[in-house]
Amino acid sequence: MRQKDTQFERIAYPVGFGLLVLVLWEIGVHLFNVSPALLPAPSAIGAAIASSAAILWGDWVQTVLKGALNGIWMGSLAGIALALVVDRFVFLKRGLMPVANFFAALPIVGLAPIMVMWFGFDWHSKAAVVAIMVFFPMLVNTLAGLSAADTMQRDLMRTYAAGHVATLMKLRIPAALPFVFTGLKISTTLALIGAIVAEYFGSPIRGMGFRITTEMGRLATDMVWAEIFISALTGTALYGLVALIEKRVTFWHPSHRG
Amino acid sequence: MKNLMMSASVLAAMTTGAFAADDVTLQLKWVTQAQFAGYYVALEKGLYEEADLNVTIKPGGPDVAPVQVLLGGGADVMVDWMPSALAARENGAPVVNIAQPFKSSGMMLTCLKESGVTSPEDFAGSTLGVWFYGNEYPFLSWMGKLGIATDGSEGGVNVLKQGFNVDPLLQKQAACISTMTYNEYWQVIDAGISEDELVTFKYEDQGVATLEDGLYVLEDSLEDAEFKDKMARFVKASMDGWTWAAENPEEAAEIVLEYDETGAQTEKHQIRMMGEVAKLIEGSTGALEMADYDRTVESLLSGGSDPVITKTPEGAYTMEITDMAFN
Amino acid sequence: MTFRRSILPILTVVVALVVIWYGAAIKMNSTWTFDQAARAGTSPSLSEVIGDTMQQSRPLLPVPHQVVSELWKTTVEKKITSKRSLVYQGFITLKTTLWGFALGIVIGVGLAAIIVLSRIGRLSLMPWAIISQTIPIVALAPIIVILSNAAGAGTLLVPKAIIAAYLSFFPVMVSMVKGLSSPDHMQLDLLRTYGAGPRAVFWKLRVPASMPYFFASLKVSVAAAFVGAVVGELSTSAIAGLGARMLIGSQFGEPMIMWAALFAAAILAGLLIVTIGGLEQILRRAMGGRPV
Repeated sequence: MRQKDTQFERIAYPVGFGLLVLVLWEIGVHLFNVSPALLPAPSAIGAAIASSAAILWGDWVQTVLKGALNGIWMGSLAGIALALVVDRFVFLKRGLMPVANFFAALPIVGLAPIMVMWFGFDWHSKAAVVAIMVFFPMLVNTLAGLSAADTMQRDLMRTYAAGHVATLMKLRIPAALPFVFTGLKISTTLALIGAIVAEYFGSPIRGMGFRITTEMGRLATDMVWAEIFISALTGTALYGLVALIEKRVTFWHPSHRG
Repeated sequence: MKNLMMSASVLAAMTTGAFAADDVTLQLKWVTQAQFAGYYVALEKGLYEEADLNVTIKPGGPDVAPVQVLLGGGADVMVDWMPSALAARENGAPVVNIAQPFKSSGMMLTCLKESGVTSPEDFAGSTLGVWFYGNEYPFLSWMGKLGIATDGSEGGVNVLKQGFNVDPLLQKQAACISTMTYNEYWQVIDAGISEDELVTFKYEDQGVATLEDGLYVLEDSLEDAEFKDKMARFVKASMDGWTWAAENPEEAAEIVLEYDETGAQTEKHQIRMMGEVAKLIEGSTGALEMADYDRTVESLLSGGSDPVITKTPEGAYTMEITDMAFN
Repeated sequence: MTFRRSILPILTVVVALVVIWYGAAIKMNSTWTFDQAARAGTSPSLSEVIGDTMQQSRPLLPVPHQVVSELWKTTVEKKITSKRSLVYQGFITLKTTLWGFALGIVIGVGLAAIIVLSRIGRLSLMPWAIISQTIPIVALAPIIVILSNAAGAGTLLVPKAIIAAYLSFFPVMVSMVKGLSSPDHMQLDLLRTYGAGPRAVFWKLRVPASMPYFFASLKVSVAAAFVGAVVGELSTSAIAGLGARMLIGSQFGEPMIMWAALFAAAILAGLLIVTIGGLEQILRRAMGGRPV
């Protein structure tokens, strides 16, 4: 019944759709004579990216490399580590799971002004916001993942006379990996939002969030869109990277078969 | 864009009957506070109504650029500072100054004495907090005049984009922060730091003052005689509002508080702010004074290697409205 | 039994968190106490320091009972029509959330239908839907405000609801794509033997089959809409709503406003999720579905 998608189609259609939107946008801006202070044409955005590459690079280093990535690894490691500890104590697990689930659903980004107050204006406060935002999804997902191995599998390990550590390393951590990667995928998206919002509340004079607000005030919307483009590209690339690593590491999982 | 604005005005014409008062929407530069008392007083005391105007006041905030609201057709007239208005003009937003209620600048740099900054010579190497979003221009042109680099290079100042409050000074994250005589300075005082622990540099005293709150409209709209007449009545009524507010600071503050939708402004702070703001409008007739304008333009042009505006603006102001209003 | 199995552990964790909080607050706020003492030329005793850290008007970290009393003052003791009432402010955020949630459901279901029904739609839309979620929405916030303003939207509700919908449509879309394509070949073939056209297949088989997936996505989606509403209020200079309270607290240097808003947001988020979860149960039972 259904045609199988070829590799070509899987790339051509989305790219074509994207191009179509860009062309319509470009035509629309010229046709209706939209003020560049409201909506710049894609060509103007492209020109801004080309002419301000150095500035955009500096902002990217500040926001993504220093703010977001530091926050991601700190938050992830803390989340995973706590999950491993908590997993050993049923009592703690029962207590922490609902609390962590609750925190994971909160608008933690609201902590941004407080983190700026605590950790200063440079990337440290941004990394702190990101770390907290990342921490809870990682904790919750890892905990859920550690319970993913079923009783039968655990019993099997026991018949092999495997101890807690061996069961953890050979069965439960591998079984938890798909969940951990789901957490990571959620986290990378959150991380960029957190790092950018935190810059709204105070920053040095570089960074994507800083540039967006400053250039908006100067009516240089082409630069604002250039930053949006870079942030979209970064978000997609980070997500793609996590997905790629996941595929390599959890190649055995049913969702990657076929 | 023109189409959009045209349809908006057609709509407006359809909804307001021939005999109804003329609608005017004013976009403020910042949140509702005594800095804009004159307009709220004119609204509350019926001065706009007497001038046959139906005025709506839109408060601003940290993420609202008044110019963009004006361009988007969300307002007819805005309160903005001249540096950001002129910079916007150079960036393709044709805004024109039609009146200048604020004569003096309230901007200053407030430093902790313990940071060791006592004169502008001490700035080099220290961390200074600056507002951005169009408010950085006076600072940049001052530093340009002093010959101090602001790009983080050796021997320059380390610039921070300060948030909306005075925390960087209280937490000692910056040696100096930007404050207004009528607002943030008092937040520092209220936080428990006494005046003799502070060193302040007023832009007025440093000879780098630029014009602050003025009224701006889009150039196109001035081609319409009816609009000009409407603006003349608006400016006249607003200036009457300002005169009343300066004479009755406590009642003016009360009126502002009533319009404050955040409910976060306090009476004490607003009355004090009104007192300080009154000093800034002192001596203003509402009309732009050429000497002040020239000084502002010159200061913005002389920003060293990176001036705020690159060429002398043309047609950035008109005396027509104030002439109509006051003669 | 449930007490020892679930409530006791949760209580223990919460109590531990509160204790850590008090300790951290005393430590963090003492810097200001010592600074002020040095400025006044005095040296406070330990108990004086601890006492002072718990009653500063602009603490780095307010102690829990300060936050609770601020919450009490701004919810129970204020008229709910007052601008200072967090109930009033919470209601505004709730309104934004629900508009965004509704818009998100419509967009999510609509996109899912296109993706399931049309091959071209699926090929060209699906990747962009995923990419859209990796774009930090806050970067777009100022643009959304300006454009909706230019398009004639008078209030901030529109841009805020768009931001909320932007985050909340995705979970609905993903679940609905799964749900609408959940009928297997046997079921599809059966309908074909009845001579059912594509329209009948869609309404009589695919839509009913997708319902459990739809309900399951609602809890995630409403939480996303709430986060979107708060982020929207934080980044559009809104003057009302819980997100705006956080901004205003920061702006006017009144951390207590900020903290109270943060906790009010937490409580509201909890209530929303529980309500939607309950609604989901009732609807699912009413439709005779089995738990998925």
